[in-house]
Amino acid sequence: MKPVLGIDLGTTNCAMARGDESITLLPIPQLVNPGEMQSPDLLPSFAFLPGPADFPAGSTALPWEDNPPYVVGTLARKRGAENAGRLVSSAKSWLSHAGVDRNSALLPSAAPEGVPRISPVEASRAYLAHLKDASELDFAAHQVLVTVPASFDAVARDLTLKAATQAGYQDVILLEEPQAAFYAWLERHADWRERIGPKDRVLVIDVGGGTTDFTLIAVHDQQGALTLERLAVGEHILLGGDNMDLALARFLEQRLPKLDPVQFQSLWQQCRAAKEALLSNEGPNEQPVTLLGRGSSLIGGSIKGQLTRAEVRELLLNGFFPQVASTELPERAKRSGLQAMGLPYTADAAITRHLAQFLRSVKPNQLTAPTHVLFNGGVFRAPALRERVLAVLNQWLAAEGAPAARPLEGEDLMHAVARGAAYYGVMRQTPGGIRIRGGVPRTYYIGIEESLPAVPFMKPPLKALTVVPFGMEEGTTHRFADREFGLVVGEPAEFRFFVSSSRRGDSAGELLERVSEELAELPAMEVTLPANAGDAGIIAATLESTVTETGLLQLWIVAKDGRRWKLEFNVRERS
Amino acid sequence: MSIGHAFSAFFGILFKNQIPDDVAAALGWVRRDAKPKVAEKPKETIGPGDGALQILGILQRDARLVDFLMENIAPYTDEQIGAAVRGVHEQSRQALERYLQFTPVIDGVEGTYAKITIKDPAAIKLLGNVPADGKAAGGTLRHKGWRVAKTDLPPIFAHQKTDILAPAEIEIA
Repeated sequence: MKPVLGIDLGTTNCAMARGDESITLLPIPQLVNPGEMQSPDLLPSFAFLPGPADFPAGSTALPWEDNPPYVVGTLARKRGAENAGRLVSSAKSWLSHAGVDRNSALLPSAAPEGVPRISPVEASRAYLAHLKDASELDFAAHQVLVTVPASFDAVARDLTLKAATQAGYQDVILLEEPQAAFYAWLERHADWRERIGPKDRVLVIDVGGGTTDFTLIAVHDQQGALTLERLAVGEHILLGGDNMDLALARFLEQRLPKLDPVQFQSLWQQCRAAKEALLSNEGPNEQPVTLLGRGSSLIGGSIKGQLTRAEVRELLLNGFFPQVASTELPERAKRSGLQAMGLPYTADAAITRHLAQFLRSVKPNQLTAPTHVLFNGGVFRAPALRERVLAVLNQWLAAEGAPAARPLEGEDLMHAVARGAAYYGVMRQTPGGIRIRGGVPRTYYIGIEESLPAVPFMKPPLKALTVVPFGMEEGTTHRFADREFGLVVGEPAEFRFFVSSSRRGDSAGELLERVSEELAELPAMEVTLPANAGDAGIIAATLESTVTETGLLQLWIVAKDGRRWKLEFNVRERS
Repeated sequence: MSIGHAFSAFFGILFKNQIPDDVAAALGWVRRDAKPKVAEKPKETIGPGDGALQILGILQRDARLVDFLMENIAPYTDEQIGAAVRGVHEQSRQALERYLQFTPVIDGVEGTYAKITIKDPAAIKLLGNVPADGKAAGGTLRHKGWRVAKTDLPPIFAHQKTDILAPAEIEIA
């Protein structure tokens, strides 16, 4: 068996685990101060683009690189708090932001004139390259798995893979984070078959630093053996634990004298700690927050504030996890205070409303009832948040006459994704190893213009051809032989590309008469046939869709003589 | 691991105290020197004060201990001082524990009888009715003592100015 590396490429932290006979979390050497390496088990997902005034010469050297162009990890985060214009953060959120060209140099978004910028893909490459270089492992001798949010669409997955390839990774497999968290739970519980059984449905709620991700996994009985099937994944919700800590910090900031950026960072950190203390069951009723004086007079300039349990409960429980009915949908139009700096943060901060929408989207017009809940993400270290989510969920279930859902105990909130990815990599190579079946969690369409007689001022109506049906399994292919295209050689041919996470019944080849609101447009896919491909200058070809063994979605142009060309996303163009 | 590799690994570990390269490669490990290679050389001659200044610099950087010790605390109330000290104390301890590993000299319970095992006045100080010959089998343990069992401080580089405990900070508007 090839040993496995599971990599959690997180919005705010990365982790890495190795799997062979057992699963081990790996330390990640990184600069924590100028000239000082340490090996904590998380790599903060930050890149700092140092200028001449940032570090003493030579003090950012790494064991594997004398003069790295970026500082990655703890030191990047530290220095970035003092000089934010050179700090790249939340690159992963930008990677999934369809409104921008993700290959262009956008970050840091707040960089002043003259400071270089890098693309979200390049930042992700830098984190992955750091993990590879910092480790003493030969990556080529390992099966590498990189995790992505289940809600990442085909483009964001493609770009993640691109970043991995550019970082020198070979044969990377992508795995969805909530599934990885569930694999980690399976790995920790050899007796899992006694804890869940046929007809159970496990809801994975994964609230990371920057994203919230839902996945529903069904347990089936197949000739006496338990099998797992991923039923549905939620939509992309750009909202996570960092937003909660920031909300607390902004709230407390109003009561304090004006803070400078370094003091605000300290406030943010302390609010995170205060949140965990105040939301634990035996915690205090209030938590002091002290910001030391910024000058050399420490006590004289110190600023004191405090958060109470009631305030934190009000802000976080009612702000992010309000008690709502399962029929309440997230608000779309209204923009909340979370809107900032270009990223399309979700309009509604209420995670419970997003959850209600998710559970009502699995089957039309009904609430799909989970029997168990698996929590993931550092946010859920606060027991009050777990309890609130369960209470709200069980209220919905009671209203529908369904039995209450129970939490799956013994989860590893911080490292589950990396560990679970490593375990999945081992299971893939183990004959009869447990696997979650699922296939593609969305339906994808190609836009087709009907050829009609030209009518002035009227665009020909656009129809949508289902090319990748929901649940299409790894290692399968669909060919659309009755749809023939004439492609001009030497010129880019473009295909409009659409996705839906709510339409689950369209089968391959089915033609939708119009592009409805349930379909969202993705960047176009394009292919340029080589100029010498056909003598006539036009090639008759058909379309083929494939989901690779590693879960990657591909579209191909197939000529009559069998030659094939792959379509690529055109992310350079604004969608 | 093949039998050949297993033998090679066994004798390698037995005689050379290391895993042979081919075995390491077969296991997916690549060897790297334990000490990080750095662009700049560590300081060749460490001055008498460099080590002490380095620790002070760390305590200032991570916990602002020098700011605290150098501040005139007379005008402030106990409450004000207490609020600030909590943070300084917590971060000082974390910094110390990150770089130094502390153990007691005598791992006993203070206030109970302890045997004297080390004849070294620097490690064990005798108090009270100390016999004329300075020899005693044991006595009541008053203080366990502190020993630094291990230091793990970062190297001091040639460019490093250990006399700068904290840089001056200037914010550009």
